[in-house]
Amino acid sequence: MSKEYTIDCLGEACPVPLMKVQKEMEKMEVGDVLVAQIDHSCAMKNIPEWARNQGHNVEIEEVDDGEWEIVIEKTK
Amino acid sequence: MQDQATESTGSIRRSSTSSRTRKKKKNQLPAGFAVVILIVLVGLFLGTKNGMLALFWTFGCIFGFILQKARFCFTASLRDPCITGSTSVTRAVLIAFAITTIGFTAIKFGAFASGQAIPGQSYIMPISLATVVGGILFGIGMVIAGGCASGTLMRVGEGFTMQMLSLLFFVIGSLIGAGHMGWWTENFIAAAPRIFLPDVFGWAGAIALQLAIIGLLYVAADLYEKKKMGITE
Amino acid sequence: MKAFWNKISANPYYKKIFKNPFTYLTGAVLLSIFQIAIFASTGSPWGVSGTFANWGAWLYELVGGNVDKWYYFSSEGAQNTLNAGILNHTGSWLNFGIIFGALAAALLASQFKIKKIKSLKQVVAAVLGGLLMGYGARLAGGCNIGALYSAIASLSLSGWVFAVFLFVGAFIGSKLLAKFFM
Repeated sequence: MSKEYTIDCLGEACPVPLMKVQKEMEKMEVGDVLVAQIDHSCAMKNIPEWARNQGHNVEIEEVDDGEWEIVIEKTK
Repeated sequence: MQDQATESTGSIRRSSTSSRTRKKKKNQLPAGFAVVILIVLVGLFLGTKNGMLALFWTFGCIFGFILQKARFCFTASLRDPCITGSTSVTRAVLIAFAITTIGFTAIKFGAFASGQAIPGQSYIMPISLATVVGGILFGIGMVIAGGCASGTLMRVGEGFTMQMLSLLFFVIGSLIGAGHMGWWTENFIAAAPRIFLPDVFGWAGAIALQLAIIGLLYVAADLYEKKKMGITE
Repeated sequence: MKAFWNKISANPYYKKIFKNPFTYLTGAVLLSIFQIAIFASTGSPWGVSGTFANWGAWLYELVGGNVDKWYYFSSEGAQNTLNAGILNHTGSWLNFGIIFGALAAALLASQFKIKKIKSLKQVVAAVLGGLLMGYGARLAGGCNIGALYSAIASLSLSGWVFAVFLFVGAFIGSKLLAKFFM
């Protein structure tokens, strides 16, 4: 059973959200899903870029004005 | 470059407990148009006072718009290689350096060739211990605060309270720095060399050398990213 | 009226220009064009942080200080700028513009949000980072724009030297960030 983790990066500026995502991803198993809540417009560009480069599945959801959830599925 | 899709396709399965009910989004476009109208009105008002003020205001608004739209961040260009190994912003900055170098050199050479004073030479700054210490302090500060001078202003516009605070202390730090400038100038800056590359290598040599260095750095940044992030093509 | 705004929101050109972010490459090209334009039209490249020293001086005067005797502000030009006030200062309007341009961009994308400070760590980071940048920018004669971007594009060796030590600083900063501000 894959697990889902959520991290709250609201109000945090670069590169803290990305660093938190990296740290969290290390702890996860393949198949687990991470939801990163962010409201920094740069993080909504650099987190998906990093995760895609690593080969993970990524989705961005705009949940509110200036607020996103980045959903990452660990693939390796 | 990947498409920055903002709409979810829903292919990653998420547990039902976490999927929040979506809030109804407000459309901020009316407020956006109001700000654009305000920008124009301020520009027109400044124009009646002093055309230069209106010109600088216009340039500022354009720079702010571009920086925000592209998420262009000079801090990230120097920081991301250290943290994630990503050099996509670094390479974009190098491209900006290359294009701007060509434009600036054309303007400078044009003035030189027609016997006028070369404009903008105050930006050929003295190289001394102050440059070294200043660079290191600035580098540490921008990473910790999450944005350099332009980035901080841009993020104030985006609504970051944290950056409003860091802007205030940037201003205070500048004042303290200005207060110590007498000492730094006397001991280091006054005797330091200002090196304008065309004085050393000639105009053609300087621009060729600079573009070659930028090109090499671009390739190095690309290879570094591939190695560091383990990307195989 | 609401339908009108929603119609604009759904327009593909609106999405392309105002909603979705530009690529970094687009940003680089556009910034270069306007850097060249500001240099050609005003005779001086783009600078940001020199203005902050003036803001500091005006702020200091507001609380009763006086910088007239300071070496940094001793030149006639600097004195004239200070006496003319912030509203007649071109550099200040340039910086106000960056704030309003970014605000407009965020609102037009419907992505503006006030982001509150949520921890003491952020306060410390903002204060410390701000002070270091302010002091460092004065020593180096500018920030990432004036002493780096504009200096390098002006074929000044100082820009490259600054770049090397900025990178050293960014490296140290990254380590500090991971250790203390995460």
